[in-house]
Amino acid sequence: MKRIFFFSLAFFLLSSCNKDKVGYTPTPYQLQIPSHFPAMNIPSDNPMTVEGVELGRYLFYEKRLSGNDKMSCGTCHTPNTSFSDSAKYSTGIDGIQGNRNAMALINLGWDSFFFWDGRAGSLEEQILGPVPNPIEMHQTWTAAIGKLKKDTYYRNQFYKAFGVEDFDSSHAVKAIAQFVRTMISGSSKYDVMYKIENNKPLTAAEQNVVIDPEEWAGYDLFKSLNGADCFHCHNGPLMRVAKFSNNGLDFSFLDLGRGGITNNPNDHGKFKVPTLRNIALSAPYMHDGRFKNLDEVIEHYSSGVHISSTIDPLIEYAGQGGVQLDAQEKLLLKKFLLTLTDYQFINNPAFQDPN
Amino acid sequence: MVKNFFYLVVFACLFACKPDPVTPPPTPAETARINVNPTFGSVPLLLDSIYQGPNGIKIKISDIKFFTTLLTNQNNNFAQVAYFDLRNNGNLLSEQTLDYTKFSSLSFILGVDTTINHDDPSAFPNNSPLNIINAGSMHWGWNTGYIFISVEGKADTLVDGIDNFDLSYSYHIGTDLYQQAMSFNNLNWVKTAAHQHTLTFNLDMESFFFNPTQPINIPSEPFTHSGAGLGTLTQKVALNFKNALSLQ
Repeated sequence: MKRIFFFSLAFFLLSSCNKDKVGYTPTPYQLQIPSHFPAMNIPSDNPMTVEGVELGRYLFYEKRLSGNDKMSCGTCHTPNTSFSDSAKYSTGIDGIQGNRNAMALINLGWDSFFFWDGRAGSLEEQILGPVPNPIEMHQTWTAAIGKLKKDTYYRNQFYKAFGVEDFDSSHAVKAIAQFVRTMISGSSKYDVMYKIENNKPLTAAEQNVVIDPEEWAGYDLFKSLNGADCFHCHNGPLMRVAKFSNNGLDFSFLDLGRGGITNNPNDHGKFKVPTLRNIALSAPYMHDGRFKNLDEVIEHYSSGVHISSTIDPLIEYAGQGGVQLDAQEKLLLKKFLLTLTDYQFINNPAFQDPN
Repeated sequence: MVKNFFYLVVFACLFACKPDPVTPPPTPAETARINVNPTFGSVPLLLDSIYQGPNGIKIKISDIKFFTTLLTNQNNNFAQVAYFDLRNNGNLLSEQTLDYTKFSSLSFILGVDTTINHDDPSAFPNNSPLNIINAGSMHWGWNTGYIFISVEGKADTLVDGIDNFDLSYSYHIGTDLYQQAMSFNNLNWVKTAAHQHTLTFNLDMESFFFNPTQPINIPSEPFTHSGAGLGTLTQKVALNFKNALSLQ
């Protein structure tokens, strides 16, 4: 009788050890890229899969990635602020603030450098940073992964996504990168305007979108060399160009920006040009969050530009402090900037916290 | 029986030890590269360095970029498009896997040919310089197409011995009107690596700015974006750039 009991117990224990084993048959993920966007380059060592994206979404909102289990990527990149932080500087788990504003996470699959100073050359490299950063999530990846390995869901999901049982930080950042690459915004009023302007076909829903004449007028100003002259750095479907620029914020630089990475004085005070998509939602503005609202931003480019040694030559009216917009022009420009809001993007259920 | 088995094992081991047949490595493909070496007069040009023109004005150049398209000779195509970006790509204009001996001459459009200038910039292949991801600020976001030539920097307009680069300049040449055809014969391809030959152009930025017959007066002519009101300056900039480009 004892022997039968012993074998039964052994069988039970052995079979219970297998209960979280799942198959590794990843499903290719089909990105929904808007018709007026370029193709996205996906790294060959991190192909998109349904399982990887799903895992990435859980990890993006996973607070156990932080030292005190209270902070996730989503804490400083919230959907309602277009995945940025409404605070000027984000506060880490130890109550320490950084010195730069959290960037909005929009269409990053098309970017080739990350952070305000461009110090990361890939999305995966960027994602590695915040977890061990002492002023952010402040936890070693080893400790974070150790927590995840105690969770059956993650053991299963890492296996489903990558076919590994002994997963590590490289798998975690790949999954989060896959999720972030799905965060595509291309459904704003501006997208309809862009398509109309470039003679591209509209969908049935887009044909019903009404563009206010003032929004068109604001767009004209946005592009006008003698108007707001914004288009040199913000154009195309992504509403940005891939460069670093000193946009005339200061005479001298407390934060060297790109120059702090390259150690080249000609890069001092230059920062990554951000997209203007969802700009109305992602206040405060600039690398240091110095402007609280769009009015202050517009005023800067209108009359607050400071000349310095590295100011972008494309800020052509720097010599007179800016483009000198009148009140009506500022109003129109702001109207256009509001067309860049994409509510479909921020409300997309696939981008929300799964818990 | 045991002995036979032993021999069989020995034979199998020897056979297994036979080296795989050696496949000769494939011959590397021949590549033809076109470089552009920017100079200021007779000295090599460095971005962000200070240069002085004959009128005493000092300038710094922060960017030189340009497109060429339809690079071909009578019988062979070299490339559909080639993009020069000194800051990001160095002095490379184009490198193709082809036989350089087929190109004793070369013609191209300085700019983006009309047939593709107005195409959707998102629709070009990702590895094309014309794809909006790669072209970036070299594409105007509406139907006028690409910026063909972009020269940007700063000038010190006060000739007082103090470096004070108080004036930004930017010359953006685009629109179909300002495409320019160029043609070169008797090309001097130089062997620069085991399987690479290189053709080099000079780009003299001193002659671009301070062309003896039509100099650019930076203080009074700091900008053009090829709009209708600045046709004379645009034409001058486009022509000066073309004339500054020569075979080495």
